[in-house]
Amino acid sequence: MEYFKKFLLVCMLLFSFNKYGQAQNNFTVTGVLKDAESGETLIGATVKFTGKTEHVTTTNAYGYYSLNLPGGAYRLTATYVGYQTIIDTVELSKNVRRDISLTGQNLLQEVVVSSAKSNVNVVSAQMGVTKVNINEVRNVPVLFGERDIIKTLQLLPGIKSAGEGNSGFYVRGGAIDHNLILLDEAPVYNASHLLGFFSTFNSDAIKDVAVFKGGMPAQYGGRLASVLDIRMNDGNKKEFGAEGGIGLISSRLKLEGPLVKDKSSFIIAGRRTYADAFLKLSKDTAINKNVLYFYDLNAKVNYRFNDNNTLYLSGYFGRDELGLNKTFGFDWGNATATLRWNHLFSNRLFSNTSLIYSNYDYVIQSFEEQNDFQVKSIIRDLDLKQDFQYSLNNHNLRFGADIIHHTIEPGRITASEESAVNDDKVENRNGLELSVYFADEWKVTERLNINYGLRANSYSAFGPGEFRSYDTEGNIVRTETYNRGEIVKTYINPEPRFSASYQLTGASSVKASYTRNIQNLHLMSNSTATSPTDIYIMNSNNVQPEKADQVSIGYFKNFKDNQFEFSAELYYKSMLNQIEYRSGTDLRGNKNVEADLIYGDGRAYGLELFFKKRFGNFNGWVGYTLSRTERQFNNINMGSRFPSKQDRLHDISVVGIYKAGRRWTLSSTFVYNTGNAITFPNGKYRMNGKTVFYYSERNADRLPDYHRLDLSATLEAKPGKKLQSSWSFGVYNVYNRQNTFSMDFRDNPDDPTKTQAVRTTLFGIIPSVTWNFKF
Amino acid sequence: MKLLIIKLFPEFILGLVLLSSCEKVVDVKLKNAEPRIVIEGLLSDQDTNQTVRISKTISFTEPDRFEGVESASVVLTNEIGQTINFNPVAAGVYKSSKFAGVPGEKYVLKVTVEGQVYTATSSMPEAVKLDSISFKKISFFGNDNIFPVAYYNDPEAVSNQYLFLVRFKEFEPHLLSEDRFNNGNNVIETLFFDSNDLAIGDTARIEMRGIDRNVYRYFFSIAQITGEGGPPVSPANPPSNFSNGALGVFSAYTSSTIIAVVGNR
Repeated sequence: MEYFKKFLLVCMLLFSFNKYGQAQNNFTVTGVLKDAESGETLIGATVKFTGKTEHVTTTNAYGYYSLNLPGGAYRLTATYVGYQTIIDTVELSKNVRRDISLTGQNLLQEVVVSSAKSNVNVVSAQMGVTKVNINEVRNVPVLFGERDIIKTLQLLPGIKSAGEGNSGFYVRGGAIDHNLILLDEAPVYNASHLLGFFSTFNSDAIKDVAVFKGGMPAQYGGRLASVLDIRMNDGNKKEFGAEGGIGLISSRLKLEGPLVKDKSSFIIAGRRTYADAFLKLSKDTAINKNVLYFYDLNAKVNYRFNDNNTLYLSGYFGRDELGLNKTFGFDWGNATATLRWNHLFSNRLFSNTSLIYSNYDYVIQSFEEQNDFQVKSIIRDLDLKQDFQYSLNNHNLRFGADIIHHTIEPGRITASEESAVNDDKVENRNGLELSVYFADEWKVTERLNINYGLRANSYSAFGPGEFRSYDTEGNIVRTETYNRGEIVKTYINPEPRFSASYQLTGASSVKASYTRNIQNLHLMSNSTATSPTDIYIMNSNNVQPEKADQVSIGYFKNFKDNQFEFSAELYYKSMLNQIEYRSGTDLRGNKNVEADLIYGDGRAYGLELFFKKRFGNFNGWVGYTLSRTERQFNNINMGSRFPSKQDRLHDISVVGIYKAGRRWTLSSTFVYNTGNAITFPNGKYRMNGKTVFYYSERNADRLPDYHRLDLSATLEAKPGKKLQSSWSFGVYNVYNRQNTFSMDFRDNPDDPTKTQAVRTTLFGIIPSVTWNFKF
Repeated sequence: MKLLIIKLFPEFILGLVLLSSCEKVVDVKLKNAEPRIVIEGLLSDQDTNQTVRISKTISFTEPDRFEGVESASVVLTNEIGQTINFNPVAAGVYKSSKFAGVPGEKYVLKVTVEGQVYTATSSMPEAVKLDSISFKKISFFGNDNIFPVAYYNDPEAVSNQYLFLVRFKEFEPHLLSEDRFNNGNNVIETLFFDSNDLAIGDTARIEMRGIDRNVYRYFFSIAQITGEGGPPVSPANPPSNFSNGALGVFSAYTSSTIIAVVGNR
């Protein structure tokens, strides 16, 4: 309640600001930036007004911008990566609405018009943020030729792949579940298909991707390490179009077009893999009855009522299906839906209201005679969010509230009458998460920008259910029963956010930031691989919120008319209430999982260097990360610090994209990183007639260093035809490096009196080819 | 009951996704830890010379010659304080005179060796009889595999844990099971293991041991590391029920055995 009062106070304050602003003879210029061809709004485009003073802003997630400026004549410059810059003049003697359409650079044009000469990366107070250009995603070579935004992200400093070909990622020493992955604002709980080899995001349907690995703005919360904010396309507002591709692993199709011209459009994009189609070719009935595929569907419609009101409805549905003959079935997937209403209260107050649904579940079925059963587990969110953006002279304010109802059904077992398996259920858990936030992006002087804010988060675990308390050994000491809606425990945490930039010369700056993040949902996984059956737990009487404090400083510089960008960031992050579990813990259908949890701390620190050539026939980047990530638990390693599985001292990525002539685009990536920290045996003994390994220290050993080179080439068909098509050829792991996926220790099968180490390599050299089309 | 899916999960994934994967035996430099005391205490409900083995850890690269530790004092105490001494019969092997453990009783094993005292407690569960064994053919990716199927009646009043020891030819797979999902039922359990070496005409000896919760957890922890309990977890030492940092486990268990020949069904 206290927070709510403060929130109201802030709102009132803003409206008084409003009057004050008007009195200053300031005027507001607002508008929307769009793609001239498709009418898609452009997110994060730069709009600069140059008069007596210079004012820069970027468009928000709906392509909208608003600036409050002193009256007078201005030169307007609008820039966006991959689009031709527009320069225009604006006379501000009253409030003005100026919508801008930008024309995409025709990739086939020989003379490449200089594109985004934006220096927002230097000027803005925001640090630790990276935007991924969807065009770059198209050109970066990937495993099996499946374009993947997450795998492209993993090529950036500070963001590391969770494993070979894996779409899970670690940001600045955070775990996989420390990333908040949002698709049109809806959280996606398991962002991978096929056990991690593909991400759930079909890049055809994606308009914009931003990842925040530090200095997180106050409107985001709920995870420790990062926010991956993915926005779907709205659909072509001008004309109908189809686009698709046929690849080795999957095919995809996208349809989009106007429903009511310039008012409403739709997009629908789907993908399906067909690895199991090859199984069908087998004559062996034991093989051809197996099932293995995934599919996903993105859909969105929008309706623009007028300049002040737009409604968006978007959804995602994806599913993986595995089936082994008639023995068992296993399927899992996410479903999300987002209903949003953009409303302009005035030309300075932008409002977005979102109603969000997200569901992840898995179902395991066994059809074994007399032992049949089904296990189902669900995590579900219902979320109502209200966000305001308000522009004042030299201030951009952002404030709002967010209320989320979380439900976790850890496991429910059902079986037929004949089955020897009993019906059973681990109790549902319910949580209510309430956050309010306020942030001010303030241009203090011509050189100094600061962004300060506060997010206040409260989390309540509530009944119905039995809540148990445990002693340090994990024995139950007390059980309390709570009724529906009765609060078990509430945690309230402030999350201060601060960042500042100081411009040194026109093209360089230094920045600093401090953020605190809170996480109330925790993924239970100390496994070495991600699994669809990993379960989430929430805060309870036993489990406390995870906390992270991060400070970072950085130097940013652009060269040669912003053609090159360089940044160096140093960070230190301390993490509290990290969770592991005792050895021998069975997470499946375990009613007392909290009895087996142990808590400790973590820290991560490092240096990230990034150098990028942003445009030209040859472009690309080099990223380097020098970092350490450690954990400390009383019950592990006798209380001394050990490297966590995210710890990799060196991590290098090199990406080069070269436009060779009119039709060919060649690209290449190279990655190198220190091998993962891992526990190798330090001895062995015999128990019950079997060899058992003895481990003396957690994660004291290393897998061999990982490195790999990938190449790809894209050939565009001759231009001019209605049907545009292209061929993409790729080679993954060109020099067939045998990277270690896992190291296993076992008895030598040929000589049981000896033991041996066995290295598993997942992917050697893998070629791929995809045919893409668009009309 | 060992859920079928969990057993199959790693194999299924390996079978399909890892089509291009490959395994290679490699040399890995391993650090050697100081030798540690290892105690294996076995107490069954069968009338026999019960056995305790004491050894030390050796380095990974050495051949599997686990030398016994001599001059230990090994004493078993039951609930009412009666003690039974174990005497050395070979290097590191200590045996009692013939007796049968009593189901439902709690036992304490005390080992004194090299000036250190290690104790462990284990409760012998109520006996569960293995009623019968049949065999079942299951096909994975075109390979036929034969697995034994165990039939037994799980008692409802308590939680039960089982360790199956399947012996045939030179193989001896061990399987863990518990009644968390089928408590109190007539259980029909397929005993899955990794090899497909069991063939028609083979004689298999299947022993079902009823073990206590801590012993189950000890073996489950070992199985987890090798991926038998789902996706593999970070390796760690299994939680021993011995005090004072000894490795190994003391298990008071019930035993029920059936010898069966794989029929031509």
